Amino acid sequence: MEFRDFSLLVKDTKVSEFAEGLERGVILATKCEKCGSIYYPPRHDCPKCFSDEMSWIELHGSGKLLSFTVIFVPPEHFAPDLSETAPFSGYRYAPKPVGIVEMGNGARVMGWIPGIPREELQIGMSLTPKAEVLPNGRATIVLAPEGE
Amino acid sequence: MRKVGIVGIGQSRFGIRSDASLRELSFEAAKASLDDAGIPLDDVQAMVVSVASDELSYALQPSAQVVDYLGFNPKPSFRVEGACASGSMAVRTGWMTVASGLADLVIVVGAEKMTEVSTAAVTDVLGRAGDFMWEYPFGMTFPGYYALIARAHMAKYGTTEEQLSMVAVKNHHYGALNPYAHMRKEISLDKAMSSFTVADPLKLYDCCLISDGAAAIVLASDKLAGSLSKKPVWISGLGLGTDTISLSDRRDITTLDATVEAARQAYDMAGIGPKDIDVAVVHDCFTIAEIAAYEDLGFCAKGEGGKLIEEKRTYIGGDIPVNVDGGLKSKGHPIGATGVAMAAEIAKQLRGEADPGRQVENARIGLSHNVGGNGQHAAVHVFQVD
Ligand SMILES: [Zn+2]
Repeated sequence: MEFRDFSLLVKDTKVSEFAEGLERGVILATKCEKCGSIYYPPRHDCPKCFSDEMSWIELHGSGKLLSFTVIFVPPEHFAPDLSETAPFSGYRYAPKPVGIVEMGNGARVMGWIPGIPREELQIGMSLTPKAEVLPNGRATIVLAPEGE
Repeated sequence: MRKVGIVGIGQSRFGIRSDASLRELSFEAAKASLDDAGIPLDDVQAMVVSVASDELSYALQPSAQVVDYLGFNPKPSFRVEGACASGSMAVRTGWMTVASGLADLVIVVGAEKMTEVSTAAVTDVLGRAGDFMWEYPFGMTFPGYYALIARAHMAKYGTTEEQLSMVAVKNHHYGALNPYAHMRKEISLDKAMSSFTVADPLKLYDCCLISDGAAAIVLASDKLAGSLSKKPVWISGLGLGTDTISLSDRRDITTLDATVEAARQAYDMAGIGPKDIDVAVVHDCFTIAEIAAYEDLGFCAKGEGGKLIEEKRTYIGGDIPVNVDGGLKSKGHPIGATGVAMAAEIAKQLRGEADPGRQVENARIGLSHNVGGNGQHAAVHVFQVD
């Protein structure tokens, strides 16, 4: 899997292994070998100590929902005539919620929330980030209810 | 460094300007600002241009179109960019050019032509002001980002959707009195509350307009300003703050730390505090942004922004009148022009020349607040008259 299969627009990066991780079903972050800082989204370079010696770690477990929205007016890339690129949506654009969770190690993870109706979402609820490969071959992150 | 004063202000009509190109809009604003200053362009030594987007103008260096159309060649010109804060970056750069002694007389022109492309394309381009690599893949748009801020603000402080709509009602009330505004009409709270959802919880009337337009100001050194203008408007404080590209990484999603930092710098430089401000224009790209700005600029305590608008304390006659030109919400938001138009509006207020019904009486100290993206940049400027 190429990085653009996740990012849609960006092709080249030193952290393209992130997309390969999604394909394997894991969400990868990086850890600075020098100062121990953990970065999600992963960074190849540490702005805290300016080291470029990083190692890959996997993110596990659940986090607390910090905020969420449902975007009804999509960007061009996700607009109805390009609906194959709109994850979890059918031919007619039926948007799903997106949100941000905060993990125990402080990492903030953005993801789609296809499994919970908007009315049932509560800030502070526990959700688990999961890697997901979509039917169109692209990969993304889903915030799943606990126990799924 | 020398004092720098605004001696000329001008603006084109904002709106869907299908009658004019980027360069022609710029001409309207520049001509008005030079007429106001009472000088020909020949006297101006440098030009700073703010056009935010190459993608909306389908061109690299769109500023070159502006410079040439105004007949400014071969004098120095440069373009600055900071998404929706580009205009304030240009004002700051103009101030630096004069304060440093590099030039005595500078024109700052901000312009944007946003309606040449589809709404979906504008939505796409603006959304990419945020984290294009890590958040765009989740369909993030400008309204989407501010919806995340709004939802968190509502949960943390009890801010309501009605309070968000009240910001829109106020700004449309004043926009209706501004002949340069894009949408010159009052709206009711019911109308705002029942408009369709753009990004939950933000509705159509929580979102600013997509507009074409231009604004210009003429800046002069202290000596020259005194001879050119009966009432120069001095730029007495400047602040510029930055924050994370990803909204997810913010220390606190309900606060724009870039605004807090920019305000601190600007207040320190001017030697004043938020209580001293007589009139302010703040970056209301979305209604939640105005509420957060009240708090982050120190007009009220954190979390009390919703109450401030509900109690009408940001109307004329209240503690601190905010966006009495209609704001981005009703006046419009041609992104490259906005920061320059903000400076022009505050100058107009401090000169006592605003339109009937929206002039703040005896205003002597004004503030502008301009945000780039969803808070990656924020610029705060303080303006004063003698
Ligand atoms: Zn480090």
